[in-house]
Amino acid sequence: MSSITISHLGAGYGKVRVIQDLSMEVRSGETVALLGTNGNGKSTLIKCVMGLLTPAEGSIKAEIDGVTHELAGMRTEDIVSLGIALVPEGRRLFPRLTVEENLTIGAFRRVARKVLPRNIDFCFEAFPRLKERRTQLAGSMSGGEQQMLALGRALMSEPRILLIDEPSVGLAPLLVKRTIEKIAELKQEKQLTVLMAEQNFHQALRIADRGYVIVHGEIAFAGNSAAELNENDLIKKLYMGL
Amino acid sequence: MPDPSAVLNAVVAGVLLGGFYAAVALGIAIAFGMLDIPNLSHPAFVVMGAFATWVLNNTFGIDPVLAGLIMTGPFFILGVLLYRLYHTCFESRGEAPLQGLAFFFGILFITEVVLVLTAGADYRSVQADYIGVSVNLGSVTLPLRMVVPFVVSIGMLLALQQFLSRSFTGRAILAVSQDKLALQLMGVSPTRIKALAFGISIATAAVAGSLLIIIQPVEPSIGRDFIGRAFAAVVLGGMGSFWGMLIASIILGITESIVSDMWNPSWAPAIAFGFLLPTLAFRSGGLLGRKL
Repeated sequence: MSSITISHLGAGYGKVRVIQDLSMEVRSGETVALLGTNGNGKSTLIKCVMGLLTPAEGSIKAEIDGVTHELAGMRTEDIVSLGIALVPEGRRLFPRLTVEENLTIGAFRRVARKVLPRNIDFCFEAFPRLKERRTQLAGSMSGGEQQMLALGRALMSEPRILLIDEPSVGLAPLLVKRTIEKIAELKQEKQLTVLMAEQNFHQALRIADRGYVIVHGEIAFAGNSAAELNENDLIKKLYMGL
Repeated sequence: MPDPSAVLNAVVAGVLLGGFYAAVALGIAIAFGMLDIPNLSHPAFVVMGAFATWVLNNTFGIDPVLAGLIMTGPFFILGVLLYRLYHTCFESRGEAPLQGLAFFFGILFITEVVLVLTAGADYRSVQADYIGVSVNLGSVTLPLRMVVPFVVSIGMLLALQQFLSRSFTGRAILAVSQDKLALQLMGVSPTRIKALAFGISIATAAVAGSLLIIIQPVEPSIGRDFIGRAFAAVVLGGMGSFWGMLIASIILGITESIVSDMWNPSWAPAIAFGFLLPTLAFRSGGLLGRKL
């Protein structure tokens, strides 16, 4: 069991408040989409969950295997150690390390070290391309391959909860489709709980169980199913200009 | 036409000298190449290591190499503390590049002054059975005071290379300068990794210092002689590449040895540095650096 409950979260940079009184949850085993156009606070929210930004108010609770942790105020390293991993926006690979070194460093977490060989095999099976390029420097690969490596590296830490920030950014439409499908497949195989921030709402809704639309740092709409989101007037207005 | 055996002897002497340069450059390769810490004071720590070796050797009769290894512990702690200070005062405020250089330049002078005040400005040397003994292999003479440092230096390099490429901590050290935030997302504290790695870098200075005082008598400001060469070896080899740094050290050693044996010792450093410019012109990443 693994879930995240965010209540009355407020956060920002200096005096600029980006998120206000935001409450949402990701229940165990769900894939939840965090939708919204640029600059509405999706990444800020993700940063708060990962401890990269300290919230000004509110709480972020993560329940992992029956134990509840308050993430607000925790250090990123400790949050990762709990079993929460992030595939960051822009992938953030180690460009001058090889594919295999990038994957191995993903398993730094104590519990992940023991199962390193199994997880490497898993990654190479899920992404045969990475196996072919295992000795290549990560920075010399194409955007699609880098996104695969970023996903694989996050999975190396044996996470229970996976956060993905803008997986489609910088990828060609066909690759976006494949990446999204791959996320669904990996989620199923690894039995993850997934929170995915995405601008490309059509692609995100193909695999999401539910979704939140975030506008100006507040939840503007909470959709209980992909269908409900598809039918929503706000989404039509935001994404289709209708 | 110079005597072939003289040339051979000069080359061998150069290789051995290069091995010692590599021991000095190793810590700089870690600090500059892997951690982005502009530790200009590294050669001063090497000299400090030499004096620590002298104290242990003179007072307790401990073998110089063993003395150097014993001193790696205290030097490691010293390195960790120095990094903490540097991090709090400069790095965490984002003022690292220029102020950091000034900081370490200051540490260089302070270390020298402390050495002069505590140990005096005289030349100091150590005693060991192998100092002053030579082995002859055909026409090549191998002075053991050069062979021992060469072997110890290569051993230290191999051990660290293995540590960096095989251990989780080692790989985190290789990654820390590439993307700190990503490293945090792997569950690693970049500050702790850098403190640890900088501690290791200063610990290598203890060993390099013991090798220096085996090779020649040492006085407090002698580190300045090596600053240029050690930095050149790191840049020439390719930032962050140990093997490149070793090859570069040996090239510098051979060049220096041949030029001073065959021609004029004063020209040796100039010729050695002459290698730096064309190498960087044709291979900006150095000999073996990982380049994208």
